[in-house]
Amino acid sequence: MTNFFPLPITNVLAELEVGEHLYWHVGNFKIHGQVFLASWVVMGALIVASILATRNVQRVPSGMQNFMEYALEFIRDLAKTQLGEKEYRNWVPFIGTLFLFIFVSNWGGALIPWKLVELPSGELAAPTNDINTTIALALLTSLAYFYAGLSRKGLGYFADYAQPTPIMVPFKIIEDFTKPLSLSFRLFGNILADELVVAVLVFLVPLFIPVPLMLLGLFTSAIQALIFATLAATYIGEAMEEHGEHE
Amino acid sequence: MLHIALPTILAVEEAAESGGLFDIDATMPLMAVQFVILALILNAVLYKPLGQAIDERADYIRNQQVGSQEQVAKIERMTQEYEDALSSARREAQDIVAEAQAEAQAVASKALTEAQQQAQAERETARGEIDKQKEVAIATLDAQVDTLSRQIVKKLLGYELS
Repeated sequence: MTNFFPLPITNVLAELEVGEHLYWHVGNFKIHGQVFLASWVVMGALIVASILATRNVQRVPSGMQNFMEYALEFIRDLAKTQLGEKEYRNWVPFIGTLFLFIFVSNWGGALIPWKLVELPSGELAAPTNDINTTIALALLTSLAYFYAGLSRKGLGYFADYAQPTPIMVPFKIIEDFTKPLSLSFRLFGNILADELVVAVLVFLVPLFIPVPLMLLGLFTSAIQALIFATLAATYIGEAMEEHGEHE
Repeated sequence: MLHIALPTILAVEEAAESGGLFDIDATMPLMAVQFVILALILNAVLYKPLGQAIDERADYIRNQQVGSQEQVAKIERMTQEYEDALSSARREAQDIVAEAQAEAQAVASKALTEAQQQAQAERETARGEIDKQKEVAIATLDAQVDTLSRQIVKKLLGYELS
């Protein structure tokens, strides 16, 4: 099981480690160091880009400000489509950060040559290819939509579980569990699978052949970020939605 | 545990602690906290200032648009006014020209009539003069004819007719 490839391949870049982590100990807890290292790089990049963009805000944008405004307009449009003109502004930070963090993580995982950094154990990769990250994001999304629903309708939010018929109650409750589950596993699976496929192909044919798959990987990564952010916005919008009888 | 690597990695694997693909541990809550912090930071350095910039620009553009629409309306109004003034001035000018023409016509025809009348009068006077002189001439001739006739008769008859 541990040796798939009997050929003596010497390409160090082609080594692939899955499920190995660089463990750090914080108190009594173990955390995955490589995930944090990669996520700090991602967050640092985001914060630096943001500061560069807003350091000197002009009415006529140029350079970095223009680029980040483009990104922000995209996020605002996304939030507006899902949440409506009235509500979307409060949720732009959450949805936008979801999108930016996942997007930059995914693309960073695909584009930054992490392999050049040697770790004692495990390897650097996109933070989103660790299940902990995706579950964290998915649970935050759940909290967000519960907060949205409860702050909007109070406990009446749970009364809406019986809309349009009480038969829906168990399904709605199950949905509360499947939403974060599907969110986290979709992202995790896609990114991990993409990195695995590319790594295996690089392992087998180091030149040229993996390039189309890498491009496909970039596409998938972008789509996954969009899907995660859109679904989070949809869930929040759904939670705030007024049902017919209240109007 | 899924592992694709060369046998040389095995040593690392043995050294590694329990791991795996679905190894959920304290990374998860810490990641969530980290994410919330990132969202707060980005809210301060990205969403707020840039969103404000976008909104302000939208307001600015809207105001500018309203302003320029007003300007356009004003300009259109002024153009209309000027065109009205222009056409009325043109009408006035035409009136003046027509009036002047009529006046000139009247003066010309009056002068013509006067000249004609004067010519007529002069002709009449001349004709009267001619007639008078003709009469005088005729009268003179008559007298001379009389005298000559008497002389002719005297010569022929040798005496005078009484």
